[in-house]
Order: sequence, then C-alpha cells, then structure tokens
Amino acid sequence: MNVKEYISSGIVESYVLGLVTDAERQEFEALCAQYPEIVQARAQFELSLENTLSQDAVPPPPFLKEKVREAVFPLAAEVSDSQSEYQTPVRHINWWKWVAAASVILLAGSLIWGLNTNKKYRQAQELAQQNTILETRLDSAEKQLNELNMVATTLQKPEVKAASLQGTDVSPASFANVYWDTTTKDVYLLINNMPAPSTDKQYQLWALLNGKPVDLGIIDNGVWQQKLMIKMKGVEEAQAFAITLEPKGGSVNPTMEQLYVVGKL
Amino acid sequence: MNAKATYEEGELIHLLKQKDEQAFSYLYSNYAGALYGIVKQIVTDTEVGSDVLQEVFVSIWKKIDSYDPSKGRLFTWMLNIARNAAIDKTRSKNYQQGLRQQPIDDNELSLPVVRPGYDDYGLKKVILKLKDEQRLLIDLSYYQGFTHDQIAKALNIPLGTVKTRLRTAVTQLRTMLS
Repeated sequence: MNVKEYISSGIVESYVLGLVTDAERQEFEALCAQYPEIVQARAQFELSLENTLSQDAVPPPPFLKEKVREAVFPLAAEVSDSQSEYQTPVRHINWWKWVAAASVILLAGSLIWGLNTNKKYRQAQELAQQNTILETRLDSAEKQLNELNMVATTLQKPEVKAASLQGTDVSPASFANVYWDTTTKDVYLLINNMPAPSTDKQYQLWALLNGKPVDLGIIDNGVWQQKLMIKMKGVEEAQAFAITLEPKGGSVNPTMEQLYVVGKL
Repeated sequence: MNAKATYEEGELIHLLKQKDEQAFSYLYSNYAGALYGIVKQIVTDTEVGSDVLQEVFVSIWKKIDSYDPSKGRLFTWMLNIARNAAIDKTRSKNYQQGLRQQPIDDNELSLPVVRPGYDDYGLKKVILKLKDEQRLLIDLSYYQGFTHDQIAKALNIPLGTVKTRLRTAVTQLRTMLS
C-alpha cells in the first residue's frame, strides 16, 4: 500500500470531519494502528481544525453554562444518592454485629501483634546469629593477635634460634625461616616464598638430628599462605630443618626427592 | 464551578472519565464556544442552538467512557457529537415545521447553502474559498449530514464523482486550515 497516496487522498480529513462510510472508517482505523504516519497526518489536521474553530468560537448565551450544569449534575447527584443508600444501614446494626465487629478487630489486632512478635523474634534470631559470627571473628582475631604477640616476643628472646631454609634444586626460589625456642622447645615456621602445592599434596616440616628426620607436622594448605607464622610441633633437639612435599596427610619418612628447602640451625 | 486554569488533554480526559466536576467545568469553559459555533452554523436559531449545545454537553458527560483517544483528539470527538446533534435537530419534525426546511430532493438543493456574510466564521469561512461545486458537497454532507448516496441521487451525479469531489474538497481544506 502506498501510504503517502492514501494520506493525500482526502481520507484523513474525511475521517476527522465524519464524512466516511462505516467501511472506510474501519479501514482507516485499522491502517492507523499500522502506520504511524497516518496517525500523524490525522493529528495534524485535527489540531488545525481545532485551532480554527477555537479562534472563531461563538460565545453561547451566558445563562447556558448554569443550565448545562443543572442538566449534567443531577446525573452525578443520582449516582452519589444511590451510593449513600449503601452507607445508611449503619444505624440498624444489632448488638451481635457489634460483637462480631469487635471480634474481627480483636482478631486483626492479635494477628498484627502476632506478626509483629514473629517479626521481632526473627529479627532477634538474626541479631543473635550475627552476634555469634562477630564473636567468632573477634575470637580468631584475638587468637591471631596473641599468636603474633607471642611470635614477636619469642623472636626477641635471646634463647630463640633461627634457621634460614634455602631452596634446593627442586625449587631454587623457595625460602623459609624456622625459629626454635631452645627453652620452651617451640618451633615456629615462616614461609617467605614457596609454590602453592596441588590439592593432593601438603608440605611437611622436619627437624634433622644426627641425620634422622623428626616430623614437626604438616602445613595446612589453606593456612600457610595466610599466616605470617605457623606454630609447629616442638622438638627437643635439632641441627637442621627441612620441608618436603608429601602426599596429603603427610608421611612417616620424608620423600627426599621432594625436598624443597633445608637449612642448618 | 471554578475551573482550573489549564489541563493537559490526557489529564482532562482522565478526570472526565472519573466524573470530575471541575474538569467538566473546564471543558465547558474552553470548548463550549467552538462547539456552539458549529452548532449555530447548522441550526442557526439561537434558542434551538442553546438547546442543542446543552444536549451536546450532556452527551459528552454520559459518553465520555466510550471516548477512545487512539481514534482522535477529544475535540474531534466532541465536534462530531455536536455536529450530529445539530443535524439530528434539523431533522426533527418540530424543527422542520418551524423553519420549513427544504427536504433533500427539493430542486433548491443545488443552491450553495453557505452564504457569505452570514455565518462565515470558523470552518465555513474556509469553505467559502472552495469552488461552488465543492462548497455544495461539503455543505450537504458536513452541515446537513447527507450520505454520499443521497447526494449523488439528489444531484444526479455518479457516486464516484461525489466521493472524488468531496475528497478533493477536504484535501484543500487541510491546506487552507494549516
């Protein structure tokens, strides 16, 4: 269909002026839904028609406005009358209706109270949960702080000996430090740089005494990367320390092929 | 009935559909003159014209729910109500007896009804600029509400010619109005 031709055919003006047959009107309305340009042409003509007729308006007799108002608003008055009829029975309410009304109010009230209480209970539970979480966090923070303090004091003690563990051929870049308290026999490990082991493997710390390895514990994969220092198992005597990579859970004897760092006290 | 200064058309329609009295007052204040203008060009008599205008506003108030903005502006809708109400009035027995209106098949029909100097305002002022044959067709169809068929028979011209001439005439109206 040629929309431009259709628009300029006079159909738009005929439609607006009410000079079309039913069939033409239906067709025009259907095409309007399809072609915005037809709607635009229609709106344009409507507006110019409205402007022309408004400019040349003929004032109706002044009394007419009041007459029209009276003719129009009795309709509205009737509507509001029929509405108010539904409101009048208020006066005829019996005592049991009051009781029923009161029960409804009470029920509604207790429901609201119940819902409120329930809500408050849930809020309290949430707060308690949050409290527990915060307490746990505080505990672990305090624990960490205590450990750090302990480490700090430990390191300052003259009786603490340090061993610098250097990377082997397996992992030349690896480097760690072990601090051994000669009085308390506590062992602390500081991993400066070591590759993260695969999930099925774990690092294990060994003390070496007269060529024999003593297990000082496995290093938790999740922990050793986060912590500044890890407290390991204590040892009575040691000449050197070493870390090997072992299957998860650790080994009874170190896998020497997987020796990562080693250092003398 | 104190009318608000201005309403945006959509807002006015919404309020009218809610039967807002103030919106109706505004509608009357702003459109009664334009609608009265078209009514008067059809019925001419002031008293009858006033009656028709009153009917028009009662109709608008009653039918506002059926007004569909997608089909045209509110004014267009009201204008057609006014035009139809006025034409209906001219066809009522009382009116015909009072004014001795000539029926459609009268020979005098071919005389252009739109006369300069009498009611040449608004749309008619524009229509006066049209050729006589076009003016006649607009007058018969728009102001007297005859169908194309009736006009074709009365003027003894083919229906297609009536349609073509009318379409040409209204196309010129657009140019003249804008």
